[in-house]
Amino acid sequence: MLKNPYIQRFIKGWQIFIQNPLGKTGVIILFVFMAMAIASFFVPLISPMYDPMTGIDPDIKISTGPSLIHWLGTDNVGRDLFAQLLEGAKVAFIVGLSSAFFSIVLGTIIGMISGYSGGIVDTILMRMADIIMVMPSLVILLILSSLFGQFNIWIIVFIIAILRWPAVSRVIRSQTLSLKQRPFIEASRVAGASHLRIIFRHIMPNVLPLAFLYMTFRVTSAILVEAALSFLGFGDPSQVSWGMMLQWVWKSGHMFQAPYWLIPPGISISLITLAFYMLGRAMDEVLDPRLRKEGQS
Amino acid sequence: MRNQIYIFGKLIEIVIIFFVILTALFFLFRLSPGDPISKMVDPMLTPEDMRHLIEQLGLDKPVWEQYLIYLKNFITGNFGVSFHYGEPVFNIIKERLGWTILLFTTSTILAALAGVYLGKIAAWNKGSRLDNVMSISALVCYTLFIPWFALLMLWVLGFKMGIFPLGGILTPELWVGNSSLFIRTMDVIHHMILPLMTLFIINLGSYLLLMRSSMLSVLREDYIITARAKGLSEKVIRNKHAAKNAALPVITSVGLSLAFSINGGALTEQIFTWPGIGRELIFAVSNNDYPLAQACFLLIALVVLIANLIVDFLYAYLDPRIRY
Repeated sequence: MLKNPYIQRFIKGWQIFIQNPLGKTGVIILFVFMAMAIASFFVPLISPMYDPMTGIDPDIKISTGPSLIHWLGTDNVGRDLFAQLLEGAKVAFIVGLSSAFFSIVLGTIIGMISGYSGGIVDTILMRMADIIMVMPSLVILLILSSLFGQFNIWIIVFIIAILRWPAVSRVIRSQTLSLKQRPFIEASRVAGASHLRIIFRHIMPNVLPLAFLYMTFRVTSAILVEAALSFLGFGDPSQVSWGMMLQWVWKSGHMFQAPYWLIPPGISISLITLAFYMLGRAMDEVLDPRLRKEGQS
Repeated sequence: MRNQIYIFGKLIEIVIIFFVILTALFFLFRLSPGDPISKMVDPMLTPEDMRHLIEQLGLDKPVWEQYLIYLKNFITGNFGVSFHYGEPVFNIIKERLGWTILLFTTSTILAALAGVYLGKIAAWNKGSRLDNVMSISALVCYTLFIPWFALLMLWVLGFKMGIFPLGGILTPELWVGNSSLFIRTMDVIHHMILPLMTLFIINLGSYLLLMRSSMLSVLREDYIITARAKGLSEKVIRNKHAAKNAALPVITSVGLSLAFSINGGALTEQIFTWPGIGRELIFAVSNNDYPLAQACFLLIALVVLIANLIVDFLYAYLDPRIRY
C-alpha cells in the first residue's frame, strides 16, 4: 500500500522515458549488448574451441575471415572472434557498472559531507575535486602502471572510480546545500539527531535519484578509459575486453588486412558508450520537466 | 589592481597544486614495489656513471633528504637519464613538447571555432532536419572510440587511398637534401592532416552539443525578446545578441574537457606515431623507462594547469561582467 505511489511514479517516469527516442534507442542497444554478455557464458560450453582466451581452432593457424564455424573469423592464433566479442560485452558491463557504482558512492558521500558541513571542509574537498576533475585519467593510469606494473581488472575499476567522483560530488553538494535549508532538516536537528544521522537518513534518500542519473554518464567514461588502457597494452592480460581485441589486431599487424577483426570491437565500444549516453540524456528529461517541454515543442 | 591580485592568487594556487602532485608522485614512487635505485638508474651504465647519477638524484640519502633533492631537481629541470635514449630526460621532452602543442592547440582551436559556428546554426534551427542531423552526428563523434577511429582513418585515407602518410612528421628524403622551407613546411602539414582531422572530429562533437544547448538557453532570455521587439533583423539577433553570449560557457568547457582531449591526444599521437609527449609517455611506460615516464607525466599535469589558467583569463577578458 505504502509503496504504491512510488510504483506509480516509476511507471509514469518509464512511460515518458520510453516515448523519448533517445531513451528508446539506448535501451534497445543495451538489451542487445546485455544478451551478448549473457551469451558469453554459454558459448564456451558448446565447444572448448570457442573459449575466448584459450580456445584455439586446431585447423586454423592464421587469421581467417568470417565462416560458418567462426561467424566473425578468427585471430592470428585461431581463436574465435565472435566469442571474444561476446566476452568483451561482459567485461564492458562489469567495468562500466561497477566503476560507475563506486564513483557514485564516493561522490555522493563526499558531496553530502562537503555540502552539509560547509566552511573549511567544504573548501578543501571541492578544491580537491577541481584538481582531480581536470586531470586526464588515462595519463594517471599510465604513470601508475609504470610504477606498479600491470593492474588486474578490479584495481583498474577502483582507480577509475577514484578519479571520476568529482563531477558527481559537485552536483550532490549543490543539492545538499539547498536541502540543508529545508524545515525537515532543521526539525531533525532540533529533535537531537546527530550529523551522521541527518546526512545518511534525511539527506541521502533525497539525493540518491540524482546520483543514479549521473551513474549512466560515469559508465560511459569508465568503459572508454578501460578500453583505451587495454588498447595501449596496459590492461588486465587475463581479460578479453574490446580494447584488448583492438590491441591484438594492432600489435599483430593485422589492422590493414583484417577488417573483420578491426571493425566489430570498435563499433561495439562506440555503440555501448552512445547507448549509455542516450540513456542518461533521456533520464535527464524524465527528471527535469523543463527539458521535456523543450524537447516536445 | 584587483585583477592583478586575482592573477597572483591564481598563480599561487597553481604552484600549490603542482607541489601537491609532485609530493604525491614522490610518495607513490616510494610505495611502489621494487628498489628505487633500479627504477631511476639504468643498470646498463658503467659503475662510475651509476654512482654519479645516484649521487645526483640523492638516492643514497635518507628519505626526507631525497624528497628535498627531488624538488630541487624538478625546479632545475633535472629529471635523470632516460634508460632507452641514454640522454638527459630534459632534452628529450623539450623536443617533444613543441610537436604536442602544435597538434593539440591547432585541433582544439579549430574544433572550438567550428563547434561554436555549427552549434549556433543547429540551435537556431531547432527541431529541423538540419538540427537533427547535426546533433546526432555530433553525438556519434563524441562517443567514438578514439584509437579505433584513428585506425580507421589511417586505414581508409592512408593505406587504401594512399592520400596521406602512415605516420611520423616528415619525409626524410625531403630533409636531407637542400629543399626549400616551403616544401618542408608543406611536408609537415601533409603529415599533420590525419591526426589533426581525427582530433578535430572527436572534439567537434562535444563543442557543437555544448554550444547548441547554451544557445538554446540564451534564446529564452529577455534581452532576445527585447531585440526582437526593437525590430532588429534575425541575423543580427542570432550573431550579435545570442551567439556571443552563448559562446562564453563553451570557453569554460574548453578547460573542463581538456582532460578528455589530452587522453585523446595521447592515443592519437600513439597511432599516427606523432613524436609528442603523450606518445613518449606511452613508450616510456611500455619500456619501463621510469625517469622518462615521470617527466612526461609531470609536464602533462603542468600543461593542464596552465591551460586552465589561460581559459580562466580568457573568460574574464571576454565577459566584461566578470571582474575579479
